[in-house]
Amino acid sequence: MDNIRRQFIKGGTALVAATSLYLLHDAGAQEELPQTKKRYALLHDETKCIGCNACAEACRLTNQVPQEVARLRIERTGPYGEFPDQYYRFTRVSCQHCEEAPCVNVCPTGAANIDRSTGIVSVNSWKCVGCQYCIAACPYHIRFINPVTHAADKCDFCKETNLREGKQPACVMACPTGALMFGDLEDPHSKIVAALNSQPVYRAKEDLGTHPKLFRIRAKAGEVSL
Amino acid sequence: MSAFHSEYLVWHWPIAFYLFLAGVSAGAMFFAVLLKHLCVKDSPHLSGYIRAACLIAPVTVMAGLGILVTDLTKPLEFWKILVFYNPTSVMSVGVMILLVYTVLMFMWIALVMRPYIDEWSEMHLPWLQKITQWLSNIEPTLTGILVILSLSLGAYTGFLLSALPGYPMLNNPVLPILFLLSGLSSGAASSLLGGVLLHGNPDSREVKFIHKIEIPLILVEIVVIFTFFMGLVLTGGQSKIAAMNALGFGFWGAVFWFGILVIGLSVPLAMNLFMTATAKRRWAYVAATASCSLLGVLMLRHFILYTGQLTIA
Repeated sequence: MDNIRRQFIKGGTALVAATSLYLLHDAGAQEELPQTKKRYALLHDETKCIGCNACAEACRLTNQVPQEVARLRIERTGPYGEFPDQYYRFTRVSCQHCEEAPCVNVCPTGAANIDRSTGIVSVNSWKCVGCQYCIAACPYHIRFINPVTHAADKCDFCKETNLREGKQPACVMACPTGALMFGDLEDPHSKIVAALNSQPVYRAKEDLGTHPKLFRIRAKAGEVSL
Repeated sequence: MSAFHSEYLVWHWPIAFYLFLAGVSAGAMFFAVLLKHLCVKDSPHLSGYIRAACLIAPVTVMAGLGILVTDLTKPLEFWKILVFYNPTSVMSVGVMILLVYTVLMFMWIALVMRPYIDEWSEMHLPWLQKITQWLSNIEPTLTGILVILSLSLGAYTGFLLSALPGYPMLNNPVLPILFLLSGLSSGAASSLLGGVLLHGNPDSREVKFIHKIEIPLILVEIVVIFTFFMGLVLTGGQSKIAAMNALGFGFWGAVFWFGILVIGLSVPLAMNLFMTATAKRRWAYVAATASCSLLGVLMLRHFILYTGQLTIA
C-alpha cells in the first residue's frame, strides 16, 4: 500500500512539475510584444471619410472576396445634429492587426499568425481547419469563413496582392478623399508616424489589451446621442 | 427561435453538446477511479456502476470529438490539429490533454476488466497477458495521472470559453471552475443512471458513496454560480449588462431559473437529502435524480454558450 502511494505521488508530482516548468518557461516571453522588422499600420481619418464605399469595393476586387462576405465595411451611424447641420459618422470595420492578437493566441494549429517581417496578422488558409475559434475570439468581429476556401479570412493589408507588387493597399489607393494613410510605425520619418504624432487619435477597444494598429481620427465632437 | 440566433453568435449547439459530453466523460472517469479505490476495492469489474462509468467515459468522449470534427468547416482536415500545435491556444492544449486522456482511459479500463481479458486471452492470445501484467505494474502512476487528466479535461471545457476576450460573460475566471464542478456532477449522474440501467443494485454502497459526494458538490456549484454572476454585476459595464441579459426575462432567463436552478440543482439536492434520510433507495428515485442532474448540466452548457455570446465587450 505504501509503495502504491509512493508511486502515485511520484507520477503525479512529475506531471505537475513538468507542466509548471513548461508554463514558467513560457511566462517571460508573454510580456514582450513580437519583434518584427516592419510594423504596418493604418490611419482612418473619419473627418475626411464620406462613406462612399470605394474602399470596400476596391478591396473586394483586388483580393477576390466573394459577394456574401467582406474583409472591409464602412459602418454608417446617424444622422446626428439638427437640420440643416446634420452629419453621419463612418467607422471602418476591418482587421485591426493587433500586436497581441486574440485570434493568433487561440488558433490551435497556428494558421492565424503575425507575419514576422511586416507585423501583419495573417491566415495560412492551408493550416486552417475551420474550428472558428478565431472568429469567436476576435473582439472586433471582423473574421469570417471564406465560402470558397472554407478557411478563416480577413483583411491582410493586401499582403498577397498590392503589397507584393510594391503598391499601397487597395482601399488606400481607392479612397477619393485621402482619408486612409498606410505606413510603417518602425520608420520614424514615415508620413503615418508624423500624422499620429501631430493629432489626437483613438483605437477601438484598447482596454482589452490587444494593441490594435488601426488608428482613427474622430469625426465630430460630442459623444452623447439623444 | 430568436433565442438561438443573435448578432454575434459564432458557436452554436453542437459546441454545447461537445462541452457537455467531454464533461460527462471526465466526471465518469473521475468517479470510476474513486469508486474503485475508495468504495468497491475488490472485484471492481462486477460493480454495475464502475462498468457503467467504463462504458460511458469512452463513448461520450468519442461522441464529443465526433461532433467537434463534423462541426469544422473542413472536417476532413481535422488531422492538422493533431500535427500542428500552438502552446498559447487553449484548444491546442485541450487536444493534447484529450489525446493522452483517451489513451490512459483505455489502459485503466483494461485494468479494471482484466479478469475478463485474461480469461479470454488465455485461450486466444496468451501474449496479451504480458500487457495486462505490465499495466497492473504501473497502475498507481496510471491512476494518478488519469485523475489529474480527467480534472484537467473538465476544467478545459471552461477555459475554452473563458479565453474569448470579446464576450465579457465568457471571459470570466470562475467559468472553468463552474464547468469542472458541473462536469463532475454530470459524470456522477451518468454513472448512477447507467449503473441502475445495467442492473446495479440501487441500494448499494456505490450509490450511497456517490450521493454522499454529490450533496456537497451541488452546494458548492450553487455558490460558484452565485459568484460567477456576482462577479459580472460588480465588474459593471458590459459585464453587468451581460449578466442582466442572461438572467432577465425571456427564454434563457426561464432556462436558468427553472431549468438549471430548480430541475438541475434543487431537485437533485432535495432527492439526495431525502434518500440519505430514508432507509432504502429505489430504482426510480436514483434514475430520476440522475436524469434531472444530467438535464440540468446539459441546459447549463447551452445557457452559458448562448447567453455568453449575446453581449459583447
